[in-house]
Amino acid sequence: MMSPAPILVLDRVSKRFAGHTAVDDLSLSVPAGVIYGLLGPNGAGKTTTIRMIMDILQPDGGTVRLFGEPGGGRTHSERIGYLPEERGLYRKMRVLDVLVFLGEMKGVDRRRARQRAGEWLERLGLADWRLRRIDELSKGMQQKVQFISTMLHDPDLVILDEPFSGLDPVNAQVMKDTVLDLRSRGKTILFSTHIMEQAERLCEQLCIIARGRKLVDGPLSDIKRTHGGHHLVIGFDGSVGGAAQVFADKRLTSKVDNYGQYAELELAAGVDAQRILHALVASGARLSRFEMREASLHKIFIDLVGPEAARTEGEPT
Amino acid sequence: MRKIWAVVRREFVERIRSKWFWAMALLGPLFFGAVFFLSTQLGRGGGVKRIVVVDATTGPVGARITQLLNGSPLFRAVSVPAGGEVVDSLTAEVEHKALSGFLIVTDAAVDSGKAEYRGSNVSAFATIGALERTIGDVVSAVRLEREGVDPRVVARARIPVRLETKKIAGGKTTGETAAQSFSLAYFMGIILYTAILLYGINVMSSVLEEKTTRIVEVLVSSLRPFQLMLGKVLGVGAVSIFQFLIWGVSARILFAHRRDLLGAGGMGDADPVFQVPNVSGATAAIFITYFLGGFFLYSAMFAAVGAMSSSEQEARQAQQPVSWLLVLSFLSMFGMLNDPASTFAVTLSLIPFSAPIAMPVRWAAGNLPTHEIALSLTILVAAIVGVTWVAARIYRVGMLMTGKRPNLKELVRWVRAA
Repeated sequence: MMSPAPILVLDRVSKRFAGHTAVDDLSLSVPAGVIYGLLGPNGAGKTTTIRMIMDILQPDGGTVRLFGEPGGGRTHSERIGYLPEERGLYRKMRVLDVLVFLGEMKGVDRRRARQRAGEWLERLGLADWRLRRIDELSKGMQQKVQFISTMLHDPDLVILDEPFSGLDPVNAQVMKDTVLDLRSRGKTILFSTHIMEQAERLCEQLCIIARGRKLVDGPLSDIKRTHGGHHLVIGFDGSVGGAAQVFADKRLTSKVDNYGQYAELELAAGVDAQRILHALVASGARLSRFEMREASLHKIFIDLVGPEAARTEGEPT
Repeated sequence: MRKIWAVVRREFVERIRSKWFWAMALLGPLFFGAVFFLSTQLGRGGGVKRIVVVDATTGPVGARITQLLNGSPLFRAVSVPAGGEVVDSLTAEVEHKALSGFLIVTDAAVDSGKAEYRGSNVSAFATIGALERTIGDVVSAVRLEREGVDPRVVARARIPVRLETKKIAGGKTTGETAAQSFSLAYFMGIILYTAILLYGINVMSSVLEEKTTRIVEVLVSSLRPFQLMLGKVLGVGAVSIFQFLIWGVSARILFAHRRDLLGAGGMGDADPVFQVPNVSGATAAIFITYFLGGFFLYSAMFAAVGAMSSSEQEARQAQQPVSWLLVLSFLSMFGMLNDPASTFAVTLSLIPFSAPIAMPVRWAAGNLPTHEIALSLTILVAAIVGVTWVAARIYRVGMLMTGKRPNLKELVRWVRAA
């Protein structure tokens, strides 16, 4: 399978602040059209990495390439939507004016920005609030206005720094739907999080960093295969057939825990579980249960980072 | 660039829309009018003084003093004959503020030039001076008459001299009098100081708002920090020019009707110190040029202060050194008004931090050689470039920092690192 050309490439990027290295020699590649997760405990360097992509900070070493062209986030700001971790809007401005202004910042002309802002406000149920001041809105509404400002210019790449933090459940749903909608329209989404369950459900590809260093990156399924091991749970319905021979085949399994009517096994490296299913059925076994059990991303994360580092550290900034 | 223009427009439109702007636009002329009014009142010692002349003379001296005092707009005087308890009861009246004071005139006034004034406020120089002049006039007239001089001759001899002053500018005598030049210089000083401080602090709070709400992260990923700062300063600058236009127009209207306004207070145009000057094109140009210079210089510093602070409170503290620079320049204006050509005044108009106030004040108060203006402007522009360069670096680093305000050492590192 040919993987599509990467939309974002970091090549050995480093950033040092007085006294410590926030990002150390980080390389990663985000293909076009995927949901990419940047995972790590607090203080791992996620925000610093994103700020370097966005040209808010200059790397001390290494390069950032976007859309296969030179130049960082500022050069390509027309094509990138960015939602910072800490959010805020001009409190005294009217909703529509804020959106038009932020749209202009992304290179959309006033008329189009006004029109698109109107459409988005309609879609998220804020149409009646367009002429109200930001500080008259509830926090949840302000969060919606913020999403809109990120998406207004229809970016090809959306970068979200801890997008779910601080969202109420309704807006978390809106955010998730927006991300999936973007994905279905061929956009690329990069988001950072320290909540593994979220990443596991959304990301196709990811990169785990801790203390500024990359621990692992690649497609989620690959990472699970190589780091999680594959766990298979099998239940028999009376007849076990030639199961014992299948389990003993070292080409297929690396570890077996057989209880007779019930067995747990670990697949040998690179083995597709379907082969075992096939072999068991062919040997005459009747199965009541055949279940792949993957290690959760959370477990992989803890294994990689170590329980120490996985614990919350203070953000450097 | 379009994005800078969008920043300029946002700053301008949002400010023009605020109630605060229109309050300033309307109250500004009132405020300056109040300063005008207070100055004239302070200059004359504040309103009409009610005094009593205790007449212990045997001749007409006491009566003539009373009459002459009543001829002046400063006093309202009544004469009472001296008697046993008069002084005690008058002292009580002064105590109860029913009376400003009382004058005791005896024959000694004519013989040895002695009289006595007892009042609640004997340090009011204007009042005392006027009293002295009045008594002196009467006494010397009486003395001359005693020597047999015709009272009409005395009266003619006493016609005062009025020295007419005209300012020479550009080799021509202008219609401007010294009093007009003085008030022009005075007003320009006050307005420059107020406006630079006001709009500089406007830039600071705008920077601070973007920092505390973290909008700056989105902005700085779309345009360079320097462009953002530039757009902000230009936007607020445009608001200030607009404000001046409003003030200029309303001040013209106010001045045109000043006789109606002040006349109601019984003042007319009795006071020669504050008169409406003709603001020439050159004066307006100097004013606007130095205002803009001062505004750019100070707002760059205020922007840096905003960027290095994390809250309004912190910013208020951090802006003090910058404000003091401006306050000192303003205070030194009063020294300069006495002698606009002194070494002190020339030095201040070359130092870029005080030049924006010093130079227009000196221009209005006296004549200035072109090369001095050119030199002062050159230094000012160079300072703007230098200060903006440093401020932009502090701004760039500071905008992303949270937590403790940096000390001087850290600031130097920011400037180096950026």
